[in-house]
Amino acid sequence: MRVPSLCSVFLIGTALAHGQVDQVTLRAAQQDDESWLMYGRNYSAWRYSPLDEIDTGNVHRISPVWIFQSGVSGKFQTTPLVRDGVMYVTGPSNHAWALDLKTGRELWHYSEPVPEGAVGCCGKPNRGFAVKGDRLYKVNFQATLVALEASTGEVVWEVELADYREGYSNTVAPLIVKDMVVVGIAGAEYGTRDFVDAYDAETGRRVWRFWTVPGPGEAGNETWAGDSWKHGGASTWITGSYDPDLNLIYWGTGNPGPDLDGTPRRGDNLYSDSMVALDADTGELRWYFQFTPHDVHDWDAVADPVLVDLEVDGEPRKGLIHANRNGHYYALDRTNGEFLVGRAYTEVTWADGIGSDGRPILIPGHEPTDEGTLTCPGLGGGHNWHATSFSPLTGLYYFNSSDGCQIYHSAPQDYVQGEFYFGSAMENVSGEPREGSILAVEPSTGDTRWRYPLVSPPSSGLLSTGGGLLFAGTSEGYFFALDARSGKPLWRLRTGGRVQAPAITYRFGGRQYVATASGTAIFVFTLPQ
Amino acid sequence: MRWGGLLLALGGALLSAQDVASNPFRGDAKAADLGKASFRLRCSACHGIRADGGRGPALNRGEFAAGDTDLDIYRVIAEGVPGTEMSGYAARNSEESIWRIVTFLRTLEASPDDTIDGNASQGEDIFWNQAGCGGCHRVGSRGGRFGPALTRIGRARSTEHLRASLLDPDQDLPPGYYAVEIVTRDGQTIRGIGVGFDDFSAQVRDAAGQLHSFFREEVRSMSREFTSLMPDGYGDSLTDEQQRDLLAYLQSLHGEEQ
Repeated sequence: MRVPSLCSVFLIGTALAHGQVDQVTLRAAQQDDESWLMYGRNYSAWRYSPLDEIDTGNVHRISPVWIFQSGVSGKFQTTPLVRDGVMYVTGPSNHAWALDLKTGRELWHYSEPVPEGAVGCCGKPNRGFAVKGDRLYKVNFQATLVALEASTGEVVWEVELADYREGYSNTVAPLIVKDMVVVGIAGAEYGTRDFVDAYDAETGRRVWRFWTVPGPGEAGNETWAGDSWKHGGASTWITGSYDPDLNLIYWGTGNPGPDLDGTPRRGDNLYSDSMVALDADTGELRWYFQFTPHDVHDWDAVADPVLVDLEVDGEPRKGLIHANRNGHYYALDRTNGEFLVGRAYTEVTWADGIGSDGRPILIPGHEPTDEGTLTCPGLGGGHNWHATSFSPLTGLYYFNSSDGCQIYHSAPQDYVQGEFYFGSAMENVSGEPREGSILAVEPSTGDTRWRYPLVSPPSSGLLSTGGGLLFAGTSEGYFFALDARSGKPLWRLRTGGRVQAPAITYRFGGRQYVATASGTAIFVFTLPQ
Repeated sequence: MRWGGLLLALGGALLSAQDVASNPFRGDAKAADLGKASFRLRCSACHGIRADGGRGPALNRGEFAAGDTDLDIYRVIAEGVPGTEMSGYAARNSEESIWRIVTFLRTLEASPDDTIDGNASQGEDIFWNQAGCGGCHRVGSRGGRFGPALTRIGRARSTEHLRASLLDPDQDLPPGYYAVEIVTRDGQTIRGIGVGFDDFSAQVRDAAGQLHSFFREEVRSMSREFTSLMPDGYGDSLTDEQQRDLLAYLQSLHGEEQ
């Protein structure tokens, strides 16, 4: 396997010499040990840091150096950003903070009330900031995008992405591309029609929009029966990735609506449950790959699109790897969307593998019914949305999986604005607990190298490091480290709160730190001096 | 929240229910379809996907414990039932959404009353003596602590669910009553109720009430089974009449002093 070519030494040196974050800095983010500048750490969404001071031999000695208690209830799913001695953290329900990296002391606190009537399927989490220049960018739950002064937390501008009264909401961490802030949207469970947007970072003016459900006259609209496209969903609630050399933005899309009842929307329902590759300058679709045509199990394809160069069948490929909620691992050619690899990584009963055309080979009898249909995996996957990690050190791709089955029920349901548009519900199987695992997968083949079992469905994202470590957390409140080569557990701490976020790492004052959200707090760890 | 705020909030909830004294969707088939979808998402985990009961009472009998008018049902959904696992949904659902659930429940054909034709007094005797239920289960201040307390069980569970729990205890384990087995390094086996079980540790309460706590690396093995530790075979050891008497006793337990 080869890793993508990196920027020149000149570019890296130039970027690190400046305090301001610009496109050059962001392209060199992988080499900046003292910062964490974007959701996936680099544009390829690796979530890997080469820092190796904390390693497999000493990780058992790390301990907290400070803890920030937010005092705000809700789901903390944030990836903190770190820059110039400050940590920037978003929280649920439109809260955010700047914290002194040395002491954990709060420097400023931003908050904005969530308006009455703003609804979402799954709480009001937020997954992080983006940074450019002296500004931070985040979405607010009521489907707005806000720019803040990084030094004060004061609002520079705020724009509405969509009308929350129609069921739109937002939780995604934005992605800076050139001079634009690129964001997705949520709301498919309320019958919204969703999109990916780009906004001018300076003014907040919208530069382009890509509708993930094409309208009349647009290619793909014929894959929706009648007017079903109007409430077709295909949300974009997890951050995409970006290949500057190809000038393509990659973004995963979610389920079509209504989730479990496919009868009103006969057809493949493009571009739901797909990976779309968009021209960074115009937002035009360059290619797409649909993982689950005409999905009736809510198997979003929003999980990280990770950019890794692969060797498949002896041929070098610019790859895009992705662990899909439908139970399969995929590798695509990111230049054109060509299907390369599709392998089940958990129990799958609805498909007998993936065909050479990339479409699942369906096993009949797995459509939800009024009486219920038992299908594996369950509604949450497989791998859902939690941040994944690719380590160039081990050459392995790490992601988590919920393992188990559910009974899917469907029922006809008319669209009503503001009402949950789900098409029925799912049941757990009596006596069969849903469990989980963390997997290390060989990117070029989809072979599972090791699997670390979890007693509950996974709750946190992952971080791999140059110290040969993989950090993760659990629903029961453990933050822990595995040996990235073997999956052997090396260290743990019961934090007292559910770990729902991926960890980050950075160097500050010459020492490596690891930080994660847990419960409603931020924990920061390092080795003893 | 300060108490003043809490009282205001409660007052607001009651006022809200009074303000919407009649069901705006009564007889509206589309509203019932929407209500069915909401019911399945929010209510079916306890009341069953067909509203025929489970951990919560059956709602397809045309009779409701807290009153049979649409407003009575609305109030229960909005405000919950104190002393049970039924919490209020007013904060998470619009008034319209709750009325649609009420409208859906009204479309269900009334199924026969499942009140057990048994002698509760004789069932009480069976509970404490012949069947030995009181060795593990508590009613009020009397009985054991190994199994779930049954003080309010007649209010919290449908009769069908109680019957299933008696004859097939594995069918629906109460939360927190799965079995954990620890084998220590010296070969001792400890089996009991799993107070906690995670990726790195387990806490087990044995039949004598003793709590044991281990990290995974301290023991030879630790495993969790989603099976009940309640003895099975009551279907054989009790006659049909005794089963009916016992169920009638359980059905009578509503939290009052016995």
